[in-house]
Amino acid sequence: MFKLKSITLIILLMCLFYSSNAQTPTVPLRTQEEQDKLYLKRPFSDKVAKFKQQIGKSWDKVFVNFTDNNTYLVAGMNFSNQTVRTGNYASSFNYSLSDFNKNTFKPGYLAGFRVDGKYKQMHQYSFAMTLQKIATGTRYKELGSLAPFIGSYSSFKADDQFFNLSIAAHYKKLIVLGDTAKYKFYVVAGPSIDTRLSAQSADNLVNNNYQRFLLRGDLGVEFDNSGYYTLFLHYKQGITSFTKAPIKANVNSVELGMVIRASDLF
Amino acid sequence: MKKYLQYILAITIAATQLASCTKDTESAEINLAQTMLGNKTWYMDFKQTGTSLKTYVGQSTYFINFLNNGSTNDSDGIVGSYTVEKVAGQLQIHVQAQTSSGSATEYVYDIESVGAQNLILSFQISGVKTTYYYSTK
Repeated sequence: MFKLKSITLIILLMCLFYSSNAQTPTVPLRTQEEQDKLYLKRPFSDKVAKFKQQIGKSWDKVFVNFTDNNTYLVAGMNFSNQTVRTGNYASSFNYSLSDFNKNTFKPGYLAGFRVDGKYKQMHQYSFAMTLQKIATGTRYKELGSLAPFIGSYSSFKADDQFFNLSIAAHYKKLIVLGDTAKYKFYVVAGPSIDTRLSAQSADNLVNNNYQRFLLRGDLGVEFDNSGYYTLFLHYKQGITSFTKAPIKANVNSVELGMVIRASDLF
Repeated sequence: MKKYLQYILAITIAATQLASCTKDTESAEINLAQTMLGNKTWYMDFKQTGTSLKTYVGQSTYFINFLNNGSTNDSDGIVGSYTVEKVAGQLQIHVQAQTSSGSATEYVYDIESVGAQNLILSFQISGVKTTYYYSTK
């Protein structure tokens, strides 16, 4: 009888031991890097997080109807062309158009960020800020002369290199094409304003020919691959002239590139 | 609407600050003309006096050198210095030189048009306009 009692007691104790052992929270194994992140001070990361929190609070307070905002990084290439009408512009300088009249699209590049979200939970939009290096081919629509010299001349030489800050606001419309759970196609449209940050060439500094701002209309398509990345192709048509009257210079660009969610990288 | 104003205002101020970075353009025209003229030999292709046009294309012709250091010499043996000036809104070349015989000479031409390869100068005597057409060939 005593023996049976003692065996029962031992089994009970073993059960208690294993059950208490099973309920003890296990400490997950962490790498050295993860432990450093947890226990060491990270002043830069903390400041970035604080800044993001402040901006987020302020943004949410003001832009009440603009929700589901996500920040993305944008990078890509652009191909640009400039169409020039000189009108009755006159200067003391002449330029042989055989050297400058090239009806081509020249390559440049762009990088920046954009915020995608929804307006009143219905209308999708994107707001982008990019720095753009633009190189243009130039097509002169009016060919002047410098008689008795033979050939075509102009008294205006278009700048063909610009460094701009571009701000664009696009409305995004989902196109139902294929399985939208896997990937999405959008048509986007909206205005963009370019601010010229680069100086004018010496040729145009003479009469201060170039404007600081350029308004363009954008139209394009975007392909969203399950939120991993988005590929875009935009066409930007110059609405206002990039030069002052009487010269009219329309700068048109084709942009193609990629958009990646910032939180995936940082 | 009022709540958006501070954001719109901030963007406008930033853009205006960028736009205000203009450079002094006063001497730009003279500098550009000097750059286009300098370190080149200009050959006379045509000379127009009144309505009469004479061509020197394909012939031995008058030439003049304008160097970046401000000196000039020509095929007639005149040696001296030149400056590009803007007088009453007109670009001019002012040459002060000596002839091969040693006598001083000074003349001023209006720059009608200057480019990388073509130069048109003119002057008036007794109401008759003479225009010189130069090229770098």
